[in-house]
Amino acid sequence: MNAKDVPHQGSFRSSLYLFIILMIIWLVLTNSLKTEELLSGLIISLLLTHFLSANYRELGLPRLRLKRAANFIAYVFVLLSEIIKANFDVAYRVLHPKMPIRPGIIIIKTSLKQDIAKVILANSITLTPGTFTLDIKDDALLIHWINVKSEEEGEAAKRISERFEKYLKVVFE
Amino acid sequence: MKKGVSIILLLILLWGVVAALSEMPFGKAKLEVAGHYTDYGKEDTGAANIVTSVVLGYRGFDTLGEVTVLFLACIGLAVVLSTLKKQGCGARQTPSLILNTGFRFLFPLILLFGTYVFMHGHLSPGGGFQGGAVIASGFVLMYLSVPKIKRLNHFVSTLFESVGGLIFLVIGLIGLKLGSQYFLNNFLPNGEFNTLLSAGIIPVIYIAIGFKVGSELSKIIDVLLEESE
Repeated sequence: MNAKDVPHQGSFRSSLYLFIILMIIWLVLTNSLKTEELLSGLIISLLLTHFLSANYRELGLPRLRLKRAANFIAYVFVLLSEIIKANFDVAYRVLHPKMPIRPGIIIIKTSLKQDIAKVILANSITLTPGTFTLDIKDDALLIHWINVKSEEEGEAAKRISERFEKYLKVVFE
Repeated sequence: MKKGVSIILLLILLWGVVAALSEMPFGKAKLEVAGHYTDYGKEDTGAANIVTSVVLGYRGFDTLGEVTVLFLACIGLAVVLSTLKKQGCGARQTPSLILNTGFRFLFPLILLFGTYVFMHGHLSPGGGFQGGAVIASGFVLMYLSVPKIKRLNHFVSTLFESVGGLIFLVIGLIGLKLGSQYFLNNFLPNGEFNTLLSAGIIPVIYIAIGFKVGSELSKIIDVLLEESE
């Protein structure tokens, strides 16, 4: 369900998400469990959550479920392995004397609904060398590809976005 | 002939460099002041970060000058730009979904990071100026990504700016009154070394500077943007 259709539903959930993310980052930055550090982190996180939770309400973050969390962790590992693979592929194209590239811009469609899911997908595509997301318009992603293997929409989506999308779909739907 | 002259010139130059360098003691402190900072900075100011102990402990008065320079730059920019005639610069492109959603997700995290940087200026690299700059970068992201620009609340930003500057001055004056008769004297206890509540007045001043610099830099961006519209 799109979060924009129901502006007030899940406002507590998004505040909680924001607060937990802020607290985790504070703990990682300070790297200590002393009372004064925890207390100051708590105060700052609460203040920021109070003033800025509206930002998170429109992101469309889903309820936390074990299946979603497991899929998200799996997605992170898939992303890392795809980045490594794509690095080797681009290095091969750069070092090859004939430089076998076929650059071009293609459009692929995504079935993801939430803004945050689309942005994560777009950033995953950008992070893997060789593909780069230029823009998102509704459900279409504009992608620059170093070696266009297929101009056809479905085929391109299969090669570029499907490997990420199947995990993100479970996480966000 | 030409070659010979240039070689002779090169040798003279080389001799000059070698002569100058050989006079300098290698691996020893060249300035006594710097030696004092590194040897006694910990006891004198209680700050784990030596740079901070110099910037706010030994040379706090200097820093007050720097804060004033930034303040004047901000005012000057606003005054100069307000005299110019406003002219439109064409339609603004609506920001893409990636930028807009990225802003929503990252903005609180950027503010948290900026706050961390200026609160821990006496413990780790960074401080009020750096933390303030991080916070202002968050506001730049806001201006780029929100289609209808939410104007910075001028009252709030001026309030932060003025209160930050005042806290700096008042703490300096309290030190002048209480301690051994010098400006920015550290009158608060140094506390346990390398914890958040240590180094006396340094974290208090850095928090004030963080708010001041953050609101000032955001205001500069706001003024420039206003001009371009």
